[in-house]
This record gives sequence, C-alpha cells and structure tokens, in this order.
Amino acid sequence: MTNFSWLDGSIVGLYLLATMIAGVVMRKYVAKVEHFLVAGREMNVYLGIASLAATEFGIVTCMYTAQNGYEKGFAGAIPGICQALAMFVIGLTGFCIKPLRDSGAMTIPEMFEKRFGRRIRWAAGVVIVLGGLLNMGVFLRTGGEFLVLVCGFDVKYLEIAMTTLLVGVAVYTILGGMLSVLVTDFLQFVVMSVGLIVVTALILANVGWDKLVTAVQTHHGAGGFNPFVNPQMGWPYVLFNLFLNTAACLTWQAVIARVLAAKDSQTARRVYTGTAFFFVCRFIVPGLWGMAALATLGPATAGENSLHAMPRFLSTFVPVGVMGILVAAMLAADMSTDSSYLLTWGSVIYNDVLAPFRRNWSERKGLVVNRAIIALIGVFLLLYGLWYPLKGDLWTYLGVTGTIYLSSMTTLLIACCYWRRANNWGAAAAIICGAGVPIGYLVFEQVPATRPLAEKIGPYYSGLATYVLVGAAMVFGSLLKPVDTQPPLERRVG
Amino acid sequence: MISGHWFWWLLTIAVMVWYSTITVYVAVRGTRDIRQMLHRLKNRSKADGPS
Repeated sequence: MTNFSWLDGSIVGLYLLATMIAGVVMRKYVAKVEHFLVAGREMNVYLGIASLAATEFGIVTCMYTAQNGYEKGFAGAIPGICQALAMFVIGLTGFCIKPLRDSGAMTIPEMFEKRFGRRIRWAAGVVIVLGGLLNMGVFLRTGGEFLVLVCGFDVKYLEIAMTTLLVGVAVYTILGGMLSVLVTDFLQFVVMSVGLIVVTALILANVGWDKLVTAVQTHHGAGGFNPFVNPQMGWPYVLFNLFLNTAACLTWQAVIARVLAAKDSQTARRVYTGTAFFFVCRFIVPGLWGMAALATLGPATAGENSLHAMPRFLSTFVPVGVMGILVAAMLAADMSTDSSYLLTWGSVIYNDVLAPFRRNWSERKGLVVNRAIIALIGVFLLLYGLWYPLKGDLWTYLGVTGTIYLSSMTTLLIACCYWRRANNWGAAAAIICGAGVPIGYLVFEQVPATRPLAEKIGPYYSGLATYVLVGAAMVFGSLLKPVDTQPPLERRVG
Repeated sequence: MISGHWFWWLLTIAVMVWYSTITVYVAVRGTRDIRQMLHRLKNRSKADGPS
C-alpha cells in the first residue's frame, strides 16, 4: 500500500498537460535545421543552466545515486563532487568548450572533420551513437520500475505507462526539436527541483541527520564517510571518477549540445560554471534518500535488490499531496532526459553518420529526415530498452557503453584543440583502443580462465588503463604519420 | 554527530541552500531567457522571409 492518491494523480496530470502544450507550441518557431538541432544558437545562460541540470538528472540517475547512498553512505557522493570540480574548471578556463563552440560545429564529430578528415568524423559519429543509444536503452525500464514501486501500480502496467510517456516525449521533440527540449526542460527543471527539495527537507526533518549518520556508521563504518578508507572504493575509484566525469563534461553529447546551442562561447562557459554545483546536489540529494532507506527499512522491507530500497522507502514515507509532487518531479526528470537524448543522438546521426549521403538537401528535407530519425530512435528504445529485458549487471553495462565512447572522444577533442601533431592515424588508433580495452576487460571477466586476472585488475584500474592507453594510442599513432603542418584549431578560429 | 562529520554536514546544508536559491533564481531569469530567445527567432524568421 502506498500514499499515491487521486490528488497526487491530478497534480501529475496537470504537469503532463502543461509540458505537452509548451513542447508542441514550439513547433511554429522551427523553420531550419539549425533551429531544430541547436535552437538557432539563441540559448542564454539561465535557460542553459535549467536545461543542462534537467537533462542530466533522470530517474535512472536518481536510482543509482540513491543506491550509492544506500551501499556506500556519504562517500557515494564522490562522483558528483568530481563532476562538479571538472565542470567548474572547464567552465572557468574554457578548456575545449571554447574552441568547440567557436568552431561553429553542430556536433563534436563535425569539428573532428576539420582536423582528422571525413572518415574519422563518420567513425566518431558511429561510436557516439552506438555508445549513447546502448547507454540510453536501459533508461525506460529503470524509470518504470521506480514509478511502479513508488505509486504501488501493478507491474503489468509498466510497459504501457512508459510507452505512453515515451510517445508523448517523442511527439514534442519531433515537432519542436531543441526549442521544445529547452522550453520543456525549463518547466521540468522547476518541477523536478521543487520535488527534490521538498522530499529531502521532509527526510532531514522527520528521519533526522543523527539517524542518517548513525545508519551509515553502523553499516559502513569510516568507509561510509571517507572514500579512501572504503575497501570498495579507495584512490583508484576516486581517480577513475575524476577521469570519467571530466570526459563526460567534455564530450557527452547531451551536455555538449548545450555548449553548441549557446549564444557564444562565453555563455557556454557561464552555463558550465553556473551548473557545476548542481552535480554535487545530483548525488547528495538522492544519496540522502538512499541513506534514509538504510536508516528506516529493515533488510526484509528493503528487499534483496538495493536499487529498489529508495523507492520502497519513499512509497510509504512521502505523504499524500507531496507524493504527487514527487511523482511529477520524477516524470519531469525522466522526460527532460529522454527528450534531450532523443534529439542529441538523432543530431549526430543526421549531421555526421548521414553526412556522406547528404547532397544539397533543402531545409525542409533536412527537418523531415531529422524528425524521422527521432521517431526511429523512439521505436528502437521501445523494442530494445522496454520490451527486451536486459540480462546481466546493469552498472557494468552502463560503465562499458560509456567508457567506449568517452575515452576516445575526449582524447580526440583535446588533441584536436591543442596538439599540433594530432592527425587521423592517431585518431583512428584512439577510437579502436577506446572500444577494445573495455570490451576486452568484459571478455576477460566472462572467460573462466581469465576471470581471476580480471578480478585482480578490477573495473577502476581497467577504466583508468583505458584512458591512459587511448591517450598513448593517439600520441603514437599521430607520431607514426609524417608531420602534419596544420595548426591547432583554436589558433585557426582565433 | 555534526562535529564528527562536519564536511558532509556543511555540504548537505550548502546543497539545500544553493539548490533552493538557484531554483527560484533560474525560474525567474530563465523565463526572461525564453522570451528573448523566441523574440529573436521570430525577428530572424521575419528578416529571412518565408522558407
């Protein structure tokens, strides 16, 4: 039995109606592909902050960060602190994002073409789309599980509810592109933030700080507060998260889409510095929810799957009325992420993967193709992510799909902006290495003869090795080719 | 309890204060950003003529 009532249902319905209207209305402002993909490059700072924050917080994020709080205590917030530091420094210095925005590209691979050629642009597009879509493939089901547990719905309605939600999101994204995404993200940021703040304040007031700290101390000891003494974490975990989150700030297409839609590079940098601390909130807030589940639920109530502990706790803790705000907030979080991701992977398919096939397409044809791509991605997500249950460990899956893409694209971007000798040989070597090392580690884990070695290396050393090896592949690959006299892109764009 | 884990206590307070403040601030300034963005797009469409 949960606290979800007709009043909560009305709040959720009102929110959904407002979002759909706002999203659909944006269609009349879309006349060109540039409007559709990067909002005509008219995004200003505060809209950018709202959009970036809303995009990077989905239900899947909330579930995993809460699980981190449940399993690792306060130390589970380390990835958020790493990402906040990385984003703040990148925003402050303009590292990579300034030359990227100044280049006038609509996607990262488009910028790569100027330095590494068409083939690398195409290959980078394929890697980004594969990594991104496979990563996104698990969002729907995880989001549905949260809603089913919190609202107490029958699990048989999960597929139908999430399909309806995805169709709604796809409709306004197809019609209004980035403009719909930005405006609905803004609404969703406000609704999501109100829900997150209200529920966290309730937890701090009713469960209490002392009880949270005692629960973490009892279950995790000193390791629940200090990642360096936690046997599951240590410095490799911290260092790996620093690499991973820096890479995400530099090349995760959904994040970079805000840089590319910004009015200018100065606006993009201000969006980064302004949003940086949100990434601490992104881990601390759901982390506190997970710790509250740890403090209040017994092992029988929490269930075997620690991922479900937080929604089970919220289903009985959050009172009527506030439950509607919570569910609306979580729907907002999920919708903003889904719409942005649909558009962002679609933009790479149109702009880069289809680049060799585009010959003098009109703006009208470009818009039709973009809309068709988003519709097809929606169908793929339904078939792959919702109706086909994923087998195996979800976290490993997310980590591998993310690392395949982030390690090579980050290396290519840094080299493209700042290393004179970087060339297509190095870029190709980096892309191959970036995919090969994480997949090789997975294979080692599955084969009985090599499993002990994989366990000895561990996921964090393997992740760190990927970044180091990809960097080395770029250097050695580039040095093997005769000298390229092209100057770094930053000098060329002035 | 607070003195023993002052870092996490301070960070939690900072999160609550910052997030509450930024939500209100971004809600107000973001509305203005949307209006200006749509206004500029409308003007550009007029200047470009029908596509």
